[in-house]
Amino acid sequence: MVSELFARFQALPDTLTATPILAIALTLGAFFAGNWLFSRIGRPLWLPPVVLSACLLSGVIAVLAIDYQAYQQGARWLTVLLGPATVALGIPLYQQMHHIRAMWRPIVVTLPIAATMAAVYAVVIGWALGATPEVLASLAPKSVTAPIAIGITEQLGGSVPLMMGGLLITGVVATLFVDLLARLLPVKDERILGFALGLNGHAIGTARAFEISHTAGAFASLGMGLTGVFTALILPLVFRL
Amino acid sequence: MPMLRGFLVLVLFYILGESLRLLLALPVSGGVLGMVLITFTQMVKGSVSEDLAQASQGLIAVLVLLIMPGVVGVFFTANQFSGQWLAVAVALLAGTFLSVLTTLLLMKALTARGVSDGE
Repeated sequence: MVSELFARFQALPDTLTATPILAIALTLGAFFAGNWLFSRIGRPLWLPPVVLSACLLSGVIAVLAIDYQAYQQGARWLTVLLGPATVALGIPLYQQMHHIRAMWRPIVVTLPIAATMAAVYAVVIGWALGATPEVLASLAPKSVTAPIAIGITEQLGGSVPLMMGGLLITGVVATLFVDLLARLLPVKDERILGFALGLNGHAIGTARAFEISHTAGAFASLGMGLTGVFTALILPLVFRL
Repeated sequence: MPMLRGFLVLVLFYILGESLRLLLALPVSGGVLGMVLITFTQMVKGSVSEDLAQASQGLIAVLVLLIMPGVVGVFFTANQFSGQWLAVAVALLAGTFLSVLTTLLLMKALTARGVSDGE
């Protein structure tokens, strides 16, 4: 009787992962738990909610022995919204257009240099430390928002999972470094901070920028969008050389 | 309801961007093309509808939720590149530090000069 119940309990994850609903529940649950934990431990800058949530979620997936591919399949109901969410970034961009117009000159000069250097620094350091071409191709688009970066990595012959890992780490440390350097340099202009967050830290930096202010968020959207477009156009050309 | 109406507009712009990408074989994602298109459309129109503002705010607020499934993948594919971890870690940490520094210094220097031009 008890063993029968236990066997049925063991089969539960497999049965439930047959539909996307478990993956959605787990992701949503981890998202709220991560946010709750984040505010409970005093909102530390070095440990953003996305890392807390991701660790909780990975833990639960591992403990329940859910197949990662099956989870990913179910979670597509959420990740598919990343497309419309990227489009949605155009709205704060438009609403803050007067700020952006006032700063178009520094933006036009900074963007090509900073976006190129974001890739160059990583590739040169990785190359100097003996990383293989496949790894270098996965590191190059590290500051580009996920949907574009996937396309770039495939084009360059890199590994998509490694690139996604690099993307996450870059997003988190870019957020930390922007906060740190903003105090050291010092830079107080929310527009500059937002732009740096979006340019270097893609969607994770942009999410952080929206915590600072609406204006910072708009500049982050701009930085992320421009970096994505610029890198997608330039990187495949540079890598061929 | 208003939020769903706004969501429909976002989805349509995404489809438009994605179609453009496929038709013209562009290396840029459909989402970014959609973002550019919707920004220009609002600029031509001169205003944002309440529906669209609500829907975009709602989606942006859960941006982190939408990246999470991809992020989790790191933990499950980590073994593939053992041996190169040092190179990867240093490249990401030092590289990002340098590129953030570059961006902030450039923007700071350029805007300081811009202010004297009287914006």
